[in-house]
Amino acid sequence: MIEETAITKNLVCKTPAFRLLPLGFCAGCHYGIIFRLIDEVLEEMELKGITVCIGGGGCSAMGAMAMDVDAFGGPHGPGTAIASALKRVCPDNFIFAIQGDGEQGAIGLGSFVAAAVRGENITIITMNNACYGMTGGQLAPTTPLGMVTPTTPEGRDQEMAGFPFHGPELVAPLRGVAYAARGTVHTPANRQRSKKMVKTAFQKQLQRLGFAVVEFICACPTNWRLSPVDCARYIEEKMIPEFPLGEFKNVEKNEG
Amino acid sequence: MPKKGEIIIDERLCKGCALCVMFCSKKCISMGKIGPGGIPIAHFSDPEACTGCGVCGWMCPDMAIEVYEYVARRPL
Repeated sequence: MIEETAITKNLVCKTPAFRLLPLGFCAGCHYGIIFRLIDEVLEEMELKGITVCIGGGGCSAMGAMAMDVDAFGGPHGPGTAIASALKRVCPDNFIFAIQGDGEQGAIGLGSFVAAAVRGENITIITMNNACYGMTGGQLAPTTPLGMVTPTTPEGRDQEMAGFPFHGPELVAPLRGVAYAARGTVHTPANRQRSKKMVKTAFQKQLQRLGFAVVEFICACPTNWRLSPVDCARYIEEKMIPEFPLGEFKNVEKNEG
Repeated sequence: MPKKGEIIIDERLCKGCALCVMFCSKKCISMGKIGPGGIPIAHFSDPEACTGCGVCGWMCPDMAIEVYEYVARRPL
C-alpha cells in the first residue's frame, strides 16, 4: 500500500499590510527592511490596535506614514517631545517615535536628551544612515570621519566638523533610560538580532520601566554612491568600527 | 524530489536592488528580467533549489516577496 503524505503549504513571509505600497524609498535602501521588522514585532506582540507612531522629517517619516498603525506627522526634530506629550495624555496607548540621525543628533538633540533625562516611558527608533538622505546626502552629525559628502568633499575632518554623534551611548548613563542598543540590518543574522532588540525595547514601555532607544545603522546607496551590495561591505568596514553594535544598557526592573 | 519552497515576487513592487540575490544561499533568484517599470528586476530562476527559508522575504526592502514552504506530513 502506498503511504500518502499530505503536503501543506505554509506562509513563511508575507507582504505586510501597509497603507502605501510601493514605498517611496530608493532601491536598496535599508529603511524598508526596518519598517517590515517593526511591523512584524507589533504584530507578534499584538500591539497594532493601540499603537501611535510619531514620524518626523526626512525619509524616515515616509515609512511612518505608510505603516498600518495610527500615525502623527510632526515637524523635523521634536519627535521625542511629541511622543512624551502623547504618552502623558494617553498612558494606555503604545507610543513610539521614528527619527532619522540628523533629526535626533542635530535639530532634535535638545528634546531627545530632555526626554531621556525625564525618563519618559516611550520608545525611540533611530535610523542612522550617516547623511541627510532626503536633501542630497549632506554632512550629518553621524557621518564617520573621512566620509565624502557634498558638503565635505575632502572627507569629514574633525577640526572642521567635529566627531560623529553616538545617540545610545550618550543617553545610556542617565537614570531614566531603561534600554539603549544599536543594531544593523545588513545581513540576515544581524536583522534577527536587531528584531530582538526592538522587541525588548517595546517590552520596556509595556513594563513602564522608562525611556528606550534602538539605533539602526542603515545604508543609503543613492547618497553614498555605492551599489546595495557594496553598501553592506561599507557598513562592515567603516560604519561598525565607528558605531559598535550591541546593548549598552538593559534595566530589568524598576529602581523604586 | 518534491518541492520544498516557493517564492512569489510582486513585479509592481520590485525595484531591482538585488539584495535578495545577494542573500539567497541556494542562488535560486537572479536578475535580468525587465519589469513593468522598464528596469531589471529579480525573478525566481531555480524553483527546484528553493528551501523556503524566508531570508529573501526578510531582506526585501520593498515587501515584494512572499515565501511559502511545503511541509510533508504522514497522515494521522
